[in-house]
Amino acid sequence: MRTLLALLLGTSLLSAPAMAQSAWTGGDGAPANPLACDASVTPVPPGEYNGGSPTGAPDRKGKPLKVVDIPKLVGVGYFNSTSQGIQEAAKETGSMTVTTDGPTKANIDEQITFIDNYITSGVDGILFAANDPVAIAPVLKRALEAGINVVGYDADAEADARQWFVNQAQPNGVAKALLDQLASEVGEDASFAIVTSTFTTPNQSRWISEMQGYAEKCHPKLKFLETVEAQEDNILSFNQAQTLINKYGDELKGILGMTSVATPAAAEAVQQNKLCGKVSVVGLALPNAMKPYINGDCIKSTVLWSTVDLGYAAGLAMRAVADGTLKPGDTSFKAGRLGDLQVVNQSQILLGAPKIFTKADINNFDF
Amino acid sequence: MTLRSLLRHEALLALILALALAVLAIDNERFFTAANLLNQGRLMTEVGLIAVVMTFVIITGGIDLSVGSILGLCAILVGVFWKTLGLPLPVAMALCLVVGTVAGFLNGWIITRFRVPPLIATLATLALYRGLAEGISQAQSIRGYPSWFFVLGQGNFLGIPTQLWLLALVAIVGFFILRFTAFGRATYAIGNNEMGAEFSGIDVTRTKLLIYSASGFVSALAALVFVSRVSTTRSDMGTGIELDVITAVVLGGTSIFGGRGLVVGTLIGLCLVQVLKNGLALSGVKGDGTIVIIGFVLIAAVLISNLLKRYSSD
Repeated sequence: MRTLLALLLGTSLLSAPAMAQSAWTGGDGAPANPLACDASVTPVPPGEYNGGSPTGAPDRKGKPLKVVDIPKLVGVGYFNSTSQGIQEAAKETGSMTVTTDGPTKANIDEQITFIDNYITSGVDGILFAANDPVAIAPVLKRALEAGINVVGYDADAEADARQWFVNQAQPNGVAKALLDQLASEVGEDASFAIVTSTFTTPNQSRWISEMQGYAEKCHPKLKFLETVEAQEDNILSFNQAQTLINKYGDELKGILGMTSVATPAAAEAVQQNKLCGKVSVVGLALPNAMKPYINGDCIKSTVLWSTVDLGYAAGLAMRAVADGTLKPGDTSFKAGRLGDLQVVNQSQILLGAPKIFTKADINNFDF
Repeated sequence: MTLRSLLRHEALLALILALALAVLAIDNERFFTAANLLNQGRLMTEVGLIAVVMTFVIITGGIDLSVGSILGLCAILVGVFWKTLGLPLPVAMALCLVVGTVAGFLNGWIITRFRVPPLIATLATLALYRGLAEGISQAQSIRGYPSWFFVLGQGNFLGIPTQLWLLALVAIVGFFILRFTAFGRATYAIGNNEMGAEFSGIDVTRTKLLIYSASGFVSALAALVFVSRVSTTRSDMGTGIELDVITAVVLGGTSIFGGRGLVVGTLIGLCLVQVLKNGLALSGVKGDGTIVIIGFVLIAAVLISNLLKRYSSD
């Protein structure tokens, strides 16, 4: 038994330097590109188109489209509402049928298998939200080679593996919105912790890296404590928030929720510990999930884009790509009721800046 | 327990597989094409590699829940050895196989040396290895492998996906060892009566150590195939794969109580699950519906097999 203990101890010691590597855990390590501290925004030209294009695609202009939508996972509020938006777009164009199908866990391997099967079954278009930008690329490239139109939303793949990506918010925009909101609620020199999904999820880790960059530039006194993983799991998120509250006590002034599951779960933990007003929860969440806490004056805000609009824009983009009305070189995209959307980063359609929902307006939204 | 009763389950399963193939082929013209079936072979290789050795593990009355975590750890280490430590990729791949084998050996060592039930020992190492994978990777994906590396997971050899050759090799070796060698007979003996095997001069500890080490080795092999197939490494690779592996093995007729099972059965079980997943998806059944149907088929296959066994032994 002693040898076993020694062995386990040795292994954990070996891995300790790796753990201690970076102060901001959960980031993807890529360089950050922080926005200006004030509200000034400088428009950037999109640059040359770097998306892919389907080979030998039939002329689909104005013809009925059979499209499949494969989100990261099915059965969660977030992707239910994007799927609702896609259906809205399908109805508006009158010529698309969209099926939403996907894994029940946010698992890249299963997602690849789903896409693979739909390529074989023969669809006109694939809408996706990637669980991993690189791992999903080979199968999407196969879809393009089979002449299928490919458009992403929510979480991108490598650019040449899809045609367009509808970007709900630029990572540096999300980072700015979250940290500005946090600082306005807890003050400039308070301590906070992050509850994220997993360290390998591309969106969340990108946002965390961008937050690090923006914090260093605009909120240098904010004190970052740690990032904990809670997958997209309600109970685990609650437990992790509870652990943070127990671990840091009075020192903890804010919790940043990086997923639409973690944020309401953290709010619930704060409420159950009777820490309303003492610990702020700032994060990304669906308004409906946050209404009880915001209307009950426990939590002040929630940050998000309209997920229905995100799905809606992606659906319209799919139709426009198939029709050839959205093509390489365009600098804006006419997205029905959303008006003109800007093209950014070579081949992305930007939905807009994130929105902060507060008690004043949250009851006007239902999703 | 005769060879005939063993054959019954496998024969029945092969019949169900043929039936499923026929129904799905009639239902959808895109299903029964060489391109689709070979592609499915590509997708099931990782599970298949591990399942061949898991057959041995379960025949001894054990279980190895840590295979998915070993896969994740080895996948991360290929990237770390190659990119972070700057070793040549072939060396990194070899080292990864070594680490996998050592991880498997550690499982066997805990089980035999401290008499910890396999379920508990490998449940513990499931967490341990996954934790190491996450700690070492620090959530960084490692990408940009050279193109020759992708031959393993995305390429073809003589028109057949490369990894299927690998699976065939491992399966043949596994089949031969289990069927025709003293080691194979020792495996059955341990599963039927461990004490009896011990008394009849079989080195139970050595046999188990070898089997669990082999389990780690094929998990590492599956990691190489996996990384090559999806062209990136992530620490959450292979999460939950142990359940797919155990499903294939148990559906294939290997008794969870030990002492009974065939590599052929495992392969048929593996194909049946994969064919159902693919065929149902092509026929327009959604993901959640597919899982439900697979659950029903599992129960039905085991029930019919049990029923037949009862009547045949009377």
